[in-house]
Amino acid sequence: MTVVPGPVLLAGTGVTGLVVLLLLSVGGAHLARRRRERRDASRRAELTPLIYSLLDGEQTTRSLADAPAVLDDVVLHLLPQLRGSDRQVLRDLLVSRGVVDRAAEQVSARAPWRRGRAAMLLGATGSTRYTPDLVTLLGDRSPDVRSAATRALGKAGDVAAVPHLLAALTAVRPVPSGIVGMALLDVGTAALPALRAALDSGAAPARALSAGLLGLHGDLPATAALTAALDDPGAPTDVRRAAAGALGRIGAPQAGDALSRATVLATDPALRSAAAEALGRIGDPECVPALAAGMSASDLRVRTACADALASITPEGRDRLRVLGALDGPAAPAARAALDAVSSGIRRPLAGAH
Amino acid sequence: MREFVVDALLAAGWVLTAHVALFHLVTLLLVLAGARRVWHNRHWRGVEGHDETFASPLTPAVSILVPAHDEEAGILDTLSAALGQKYPALEVVLVDDGSTDRTFALVAERYALREVTPRPTADLPVDGAILSVHRATTGDPLLVIRKDSVGRRSDALNAALNHARHPLVCMVDADSLLENEALLQVSRPFVEDPDNVVAAGGVIRAANGALTDRGTMVEPRLSRRWVVRVQVIEYLRSFLLGRTGWADAQALLIISGAFGLFRRDVVLEVGGMDPNSLAEDAELVVTIQEHLRRQRRPHRVVFVPQTVCWTEVPESWQVLGRQRKRWSHGLGQLLWKHRRMIGNPRYGPIGVLALPFFLLFELLGPVIEVVGVAAVVTSMALGLVEPAVAGAVLVLAVALGVLLSATAIAVEELTYHRYGRGRDLLGLMGAAVVEHLWFRWVHSWYRLRGLAAALARRSPVWTAMPRVGFSGDAAPAGLLVPAERPVPADRLVRAAS
Repeated sequence: MTVVPGPVLLAGTGVTGLVVLLLLSVGGAHLARRRRERRDASRRAELTPLIYSLLDGEQTTRSLADAPAVLDDVVLHLLPQLRGSDRQVLRDLLVSRGVVDRAAEQVSARAPWRRGRAAMLLGATGSTRYTPDLVTLLGDRSPDVRSAATRALGKAGDVAAVPHLLAALTAVRPVPSGIVGMALLDVGTAALPALRAALDSGAAPARALSAGLLGLHGDLPATAALTAALDDPGAPTDVRRAAAGALGRIGAPQAGDALSRATVLATDPALRSAAAEALGRIGDPECVPALAAGMSASDLRVRTACADALASITPEGRDRLRVLGALDGPAAPAARAALDAVSSGIRRPLAGAH
Repeated sequence: MREFVVDALLAAGWVLTAHVALFHLVTLLLVLAGARRVWHNRHWRGVEGHDETFASPLTPAVSILVPAHDEEAGILDTLSAALGQKYPALEVVLVDDGSTDRTFALVAERYALREVTPRPTADLPVDGAILSVHRATTGDPLLVIRKDSVGRRSDALNAALNHARHPLVCMVDADSLLENEALLQVSRPFVEDPDNVVAAGGVIRAANGALTDRGTMVEPRLSRRWVVRVQVIEYLRSFLLGRTGWADAQALLIISGAFGLFRRDVVLEVGGMDPNSLAEDAELVVTIQEHLRRQRRPHRVVFVPQTVCWTEVPESWQVLGRQRKRWSHGLGQLLWKHRRMIGNPRYGPIGVLALPFFLLFELLGPVIEVVGVAAVVTSMALGLVEPAVAGAVLVLAVALGVLLSATAIAVEELTYHRYGRGRDLLGLMGAAVVEHLWFRWVHSWYRLRGLAAALARRSPVWTAMPRVGFSGDAAPAGLLVPAERPVPADRLVRAAS
């Protein structure tokens, strides 16, 4: 420490210079950004009425062919909010301005974000023409691009992509199930046959996801397959749980026996709770004894789910809750709380209350 | 003997130099990694699919848990922000943890609370007695639990967890404002990857000085107080870049207690919040990861840098000192409790990267800095070190620190640029310099005291922070009120110790 540290002085000076340069650049960037934002805002304000007049048929796509590039941003912002002929007009505008062709070229760009944004844009056009390109991107090395391609396939709504989407769940480079699920929901009811097939013979993640989606669609023809999946003790717990939830959403009384068995006999508390919730949704009085039996479960979640389910079956379920609430034991507090929740006269949450 | 003292002093000086150099190098790498990720995210802005997440039936419902103790200054704003979230299905569980002020009265009046039968969904141990449970009758999905305080936030959170109904739980401080889409943004990883994501955090920013209106952040502004400004810089560096960098390395150790989203089943599986920890937020994250790693279950802890929660930060040195002492004490507890994980490859990047970093630089750093500076000053007094040499090293250390802060400001300006006014940007630049001239050294002293408390195994003591609030009750409708107000002297709460 007694030697004059020349390198230290040199490094200190260098770093100080770097700091000054960085701070000056930040100041410059701040000013440039504010100018750019003002300019873009002004251009948007000019162009947005033109787009509305295009949608009203007062302009043609040809007249907007040479408009500034910020027009594309405005159109892409509006596109997902529109349906029908308005959407088609904006798609045509993007095609005529070469935006779609440029995006198709960008699908093989080097930067992942370019590939991803291109995929999103192609999906937003709703055209099935680019499905093969998007399917290829499902195996992209970048997880973000795979997710973007999955979403884009959903937006495009091409039913031919459904098997590829389900396969992406278990691919070497997989796509998370939530993204695949949203994409399959976007495809709509056209995906149901493929989902039913996946429930029967797919891999475990595809079976669980298919079961959940079939339930969300309220797909009555899938009841038998869902009941079989729930009853299958060899099936993964996730699949059985998803099947139980789906049967509840479908509201199929014919699944009551299987759900009752799961509520009383299953070992996984989450499965028991899901089955109890499903019975509550179905609301069949025949299931009250099973739910009452579930009230003696050692797991609090199961007791609570059974109590809530009983509370939703009137009057038989609530009568049973009153009996259970008057007795001693672990079921009593849950029974009283469930009854209190439905008899308190509390208004339901209001949409847009804030 | 003299020779030994001289050698010891010089060695301490070298250790300090090496420590400062290594710390800045590692932090710079972390900041650059975080900057790279934030920069990368910028390209995806606008196509994240938040609207799809909002509309999706696959989006899981969230219980927002708000523990509150003497929070009358801002509780209504916090609840307003939480209940006004753009999110398809949520409930708010407020725990009035033995407040002695009007916290409960204000909430009861605003939301017309009605007492209901408790309806627990879990049975985590809670020390403070549950006094009553209330539900809003205004149509808001709000549950309020009144309980006795045992002086621990974790106890209040466990009470809230016992009454939460939804599969995700979001822990929010009672002096924080969530941005309108914060929940939607931070829940996106759970929607997209429900099988693996177990926890997610967002950026915390200082609300002091900002313009707010009944729970809504109208315009972020920089406080005029330097003690706040340096914390703004610190939060930018730590949250925006540091945690993004750690998350990228799959070694995120801390999700702030002010704003974090967790899978409820996993939190219950590990027994809820540790009742004895002073850093219960970090403790929860580490415990979850330790538990899942031991069971070899795949999991992800993610950080969402675009998600923002605005919170009040200390406005006085006294309060800041108490807070930082508590953090350091909590970190000491955490590292001791999870000492088997430190350097252990079985726990992946958390074990071999994050925990050693926090041990060497966050926990032991203040010891090295304080002892090292004392040694250098003594050496100079004894003529062992030339002042020019010590000065050159000091200038380098300060310049490296300022470089880190300046990088954080640059990334903020080039990506999220929350501060629109040029004068705020200038204030941030000034704070970047000021921070390393004196804040850092004072901070080290506070942390050293926290470490001493941890080593002495003193009983954990939670100290309430005086709240300023976000807007005044007397504000007429539509009038925007600056959050920065002097704290009434009678609301300054002294440490319970």
